[in-house]
Amino acid sequence: MSYGSTLTEIVIDGISRGAVYALVALGYTMVYGVLGMINFAHGEVFMIGMFACVYAIGLFSTIWGSHALLNLGLGIIVAMIFSAAYGYANERIAYRRLRKAHVLAPLTSAIGISTFLQYFIFLTVSKEKVNFPRYYSDLLTTNRLHFGPVEITYLQVAIFGLTLLIMGGLFFLINFTRLGIALRATAQDQLMASLVGIPVNKIIAFTFILGSALAAVAGVMVAMYNNVLVFDAGYRVGLKAFTAAILGGIGNVPGAVLGAMILGLTEALTTLQFGSQWNDVTTFGVLMLVLLLRPRGLLGERVADKV
Amino acid sequence: MARWRPYLLGTLGLAAITFPFLWLKLAPDFNNNTVTIAWAPWHGLEFFGDLSPVFVITFLIWLGVQANRHFGWDKVLTQNRAWQQAGHTWTHYWAWGTMPLVLSGSLFLGASSLSLLTNVGIYMLLALGLNITVGMTGLLVLGYAGFYGFGAYFFALAQQNLPYFPWWMACPLAFALGGGAGYLLGLPCLRLRGDYLAIVTLGFAEAFRELMRNLSVDETDTTPHGPFVRELIQIFNTSGDKGIILNDSSTFGKVAGLNSGQVAYIVMALVLFLAVFLVQRLFHSPVGRAWIAIRENEVAAASVGVPVVQMKLLAFSLSAAIAAVAGVIYGAKDGFISPSICEFQQSIMILAMVILGGLGNSYGALLGAALLYLVPEYLKFLPLMIQDNALLRTIVPSFMRDSFQHLADYRLLLFGAVMVLMMLYRPQGLLGSRRRKTEMLHP
Repeated sequence: MSYGSTLTEIVIDGISRGAVYALVALGYTMVYGVLGMINFAHGEVFMIGMFACVYAIGLFSTIWGSHALLNLGLGIIVAMIFSAAYGYANERIAYRRLRKAHVLAPLTSAIGISTFLQYFIFLTVSKEKVNFPRYYSDLLTTNRLHFGPVEITYLQVAIFGLTLLIMGGLFFLINFTRLGIALRATAQDQLMASLVGIPVNKIIAFTFILGSALAAVAGVMVAMYNNVLVFDAGYRVGLKAFTAAILGGIGNVPGAVLGAMILGLTEALTTLQFGSQWNDVTTFGVLMLVLLLRPRGLLGERVADKV
Repeated sequence: MARWRPYLLGTLGLAAITFPFLWLKLAPDFNNNTVTIAWAPWHGLEFFGDLSPVFVITFLIWLGVQANRHFGWDKVLTQNRAWQQAGHTWTHYWAWGTMPLVLSGSLFLGASSLSLLTNVGIYMLLALGLNITVGMTGLLVLGYAGFYGFGAYFFALAQQNLPYFPWWMACPLAFALGGGAGYLLGLPCLRLRGDYLAIVTLGFAEAFRELMRNLSVDETDTTPHGPFVRELIQIFNTSGDKGIILNDSSTFGKVAGLNSGQVAYIVMALVLFLAVFLVQRLFHSPVGRAWIAIRENEVAAASVGVPVVQMKLLAFSLSAAIAAVAGVIYGAKDGFISPSICEFQQSIMILAMVILGGLGNSYGALLGAALLYLVPEYLKFLPLMIQDNALLRTIVPSFMRDSFQHLADYRLLLFGAVMVLMMLYRPQGLLGSRRRKTEMLHP
């Protein structure tokens, strides 16, 4: 195999990683855009989505046997419902009462929730890695599309297609619907929004639910891509996704996707050049570089503390 | 009834979304590469059984809080002039009273207690340092263990390359270098929103740990390293996950008839006293006032002439420097350093200590460190104690006796819950003032 085709494969790998980070980063960036707060437990919601999908697949295959596509599809839907429920519960329990508090308070309680959920899964589900049932993931990972010398798995196509679709949908939702107007109004000024009749609490809850459901999709994709589920997977992916959101300019939907793509490509190239164990180091280097040169992110607006 | 409905609905909802994880068990089917699910009621019962002492203790605390609300005990304490006088004298002269007491402990305590207390001291120092940024200046730092590891690895690598490099030379150097590292790291992100610092420090701790794991010369290592990396590794050989074993000349040794454990304890105590003294003096100086002003309202602070960025940088580098010194002491005490000391859990634990004790209160940080380090340690001994004591054996039911043993595994789960509950109900921490609570909840 020539270097060129290896490079192409690496780039494809990078783009599909980036697409997954983008799905998670969208959740961070939406919550940040509306509330101005880092939802630190978002990575854990992603992890819950992974596990909920495997539980759902287990349940359905126990009830009516292994129908691959049906179980997988229902599994993704169940994962989205569960993640959304967890996201809503986090908002209701840990953030809503602290909405007007000092910046430190919701951030700390988010870290608390994140640690709690990680160790909840650690203690109740498994301390070790759990394998994603291969019977379901092989369907998408062994079948490939061929473009000349390059092979792309169905899963990579699905990941990339889904990310584009969701990003487009989100862009439409935010810019061209009544809900989007309400969302932007809430982001600008909660008090004013509530005065003109926007149900601020419901809008914020909706933001959390939407972001969490997207994270669940990403979770199932990652679980199929890597074939393993770990209790701290959310923390690792969450950190990367948040870095991506900062890279692109936090609070900015296209920025999150751009940042995630850059991050995914950086990782893939690092793997090629130095070995995958250096991924965290180069990612951090890129983050510091962007913060030094362009503090508000690649596509970000002016970021300043609100008075 | 109406008052309880939201709570009832919430509990039902939580029960529903945790249902599969608690009451069902995954059963992988390796023949067909698929997965099935099994009903496992014992699994959930075990979880709640292990947590039963926590429920009992929480209930007792709740009873105490309710009783206090009814009888007003805290008002008796805080409004009594005699108590206020005593408290005043205590905070002024406490060091002169406690220092001989703490130092004499090195003579009559056993080796294992001394080691335990030295570890408590290290965490107290870390909590004290983190309190400067998180508590006093209001900047969230999530990768504090990164600086702790930075100090420890600076010490370990220096003693590996230099023939003679004792701990007393490493401490001041680590202070300076740790401060410098904090300065460089804070420079790009402290100009921005406060939450950027949280992520950048978190990324720093992760990157630092990965770096220390990867910089190793291993003959069996087949992963491709570039040529530049190879040269770096010649100097910075950290032996990866295996860790570095320090030379005897660098760790705490015998001095004037005291064994190494006693020396470690005394050094730790002296460093801690010095650190508390310095931090308290700084806190009550114009610098401390500037930190508080930044914490309360950055824009207002800048408008009255507080040099916001410099003050933030000072707070951040000072706390990084303190963590680096703690790292050196850790290395000199244990004689062994591995990448696991800068794990995320470590950072979270130190943060939980600061929050539990009271954000912005140095003594609170010390109390939080002692509680969160010692309680899990002593929980391990509790089952043995119950076994030996006839009265306790009859009071405590048998399943709860086992759960005390398992409770150490639940430590981080409980830390997480404590962080959320503290933020919701007592954001000022255990040793916090009413004023601090208002500041946290209604800025």
